[in-house]
Amino acid sequence: MQQFLFTFFNAEIAARYWPEILRGMGVTVLLSLAVIVAGLLLGLLLAVLRATGQRVLGLAVVAFADIMRSLPPLILIIVLFFAFPYIDLSMSSFTATWLALSLVLAAYAEESIWAGILALPPGQREAARSTGLSWSQTMAWVVLPQALRMAVPPLTNRVISITKNTALGSVVALSEILNTAQAASSNAGNPTPLMLGAAAYLLIFIPVVLLARWLETRWRWKR
Amino acid sequence: MSNSPILEIVGLHKSYDGNQVLRGIDLRVRAGQLVCVIGPSGSGKSTMLRCCNRLEQPSAGQIVVDGTDIMHARTDLNQVRQKIGMVFQQFNLYPHLTVLGNVMLALKKVQRHPQAEALVRARRALQQVGMLDKVDAYPGQLSGGQQQRVGIARGIALEPKVMLFDEPTSALDPELVGSVLQVMRELREAGMTMLVVTHEMAFARAAADRVVFMDGGVIVEEGAPEQIFGAPQQARTRAFVSRYAAQH
Repeated sequence: MQQFLFTFFNAEIAARYWPEILRGMGVTVLLSLAVIVAGLLLGLLLAVLRATGQRVLGLAVVAFADIMRSLPPLILIIVLFFAFPYIDLSMSSFTATWLALSLVLAAYAEESIWAGILALPPGQREAARSTGLSWSQTMAWVVLPQALRMAVPPLTNRVISITKNTALGSVVALSEILNTAQAASSNAGNPTPLMLGAAAYLLIFIPVVLLARWLETRWRWKR
Repeated sequence: MSNSPILEIVGLHKSYDGNQVLRGIDLRVRAGQLVCVIGPSGSGKSTMLRCCNRLEQPSAGQIVVDGTDIMHARTDLNQVRQKIGMVFQQFNLYPHLTVLGNVMLALKKVQRHPQAEALVRARRALQQVGMLDKVDAYPGQLSGGQQQRVGIARGIALEPKVMLFDEPTSALDPELVGSVLQVMRELREAGMTMLVVTHEMAFARAAADRVVFMDGGVIVEEGAPEQIFGAPQQARTRAFVSRYAAQH
């Protein structure tokens, strides 16, 4: 027991490395927020483009969504970070991770929101149009508010799983939680920093999970 | 003035994939009239009604609402639709908005009334249908009859020239039908022009100025309710009306 505590929960090592882990936590939080904002907005835009009914647009959106959902995010990050410099598109490890995860989240968000739009009875649109609302007004005030509510449960799950993928940034040397914790563990010859890292993830994601739960109940309307 | 047609349909045709649903409909609804359209399922009643605000795209024909040719390429459809209220069989209220929100949406977004003015107009419409005490309820908290009355309020709040009703009571429990029909009678007394597709023969007989019998995509017969129900001229009308009489 003593040995276990010494190895995994070593107070001395924890005291030495927690400021680094905290910095990594800052990077993870920042990256997660940036991914959530960009991914959800792009996903919403793609779903609306698909809803216009323009064939070419719709096919392009579907192709994007299917490709992004099929590729492992890790490969996307590696391609963006290591391959794009060859076409003169160098980016920082933060940008590469952010872009890759945002694109993946956008693909899933588009699918969830699109499913919500499809699930809406056509009568909703007809009623709105019959009162003189334009296509875009109908979208903004009648279709999307309902479609987004239906999309909330699948979206919150996806947001959580994609933001945890920020740990993949460690392969391109992004100093987020996992990378910092691993480096610290090697330096210290003790896995305690990894435990700190785990604690940091819990600290970030437990509130996110609780927020998601709250959203799912809050956003149901009385039927 | 009261004699001028508010809604005029001339030579209306509609086909889906070569299947002719409407084969030349001519119909005029004058200001202040309540016209009921009856007929068997699949006779094209609802399609005709939905052509009147171009929820369905007519294949051919002319539709004039209050002097505006709604088939004309330069007609602003969103503009003219404010003149044509529509009430749906399935109510189609917006479930994410309150009763007040449902009625106010187009007042604010289409007619661009400021909040206070939109509120006044919405409340006036809700009072007309007897739903003023439920302004903050959500559609899911209301009975079918109450929902349909809100649906009517959503239409009349825009002060349309004509109201279209697409089987407004067909989705209601029998005991709730009466309240909706009562609201429609009151609307008529208030001078609203109405075109009503319905299976409520008793209502058509008692409340309509004119009854139109449709079958197979054409108007078979139209006339005063006493004629259609009491002394129909056409064999098909007779058969339909007597079948109804036998069932009730």
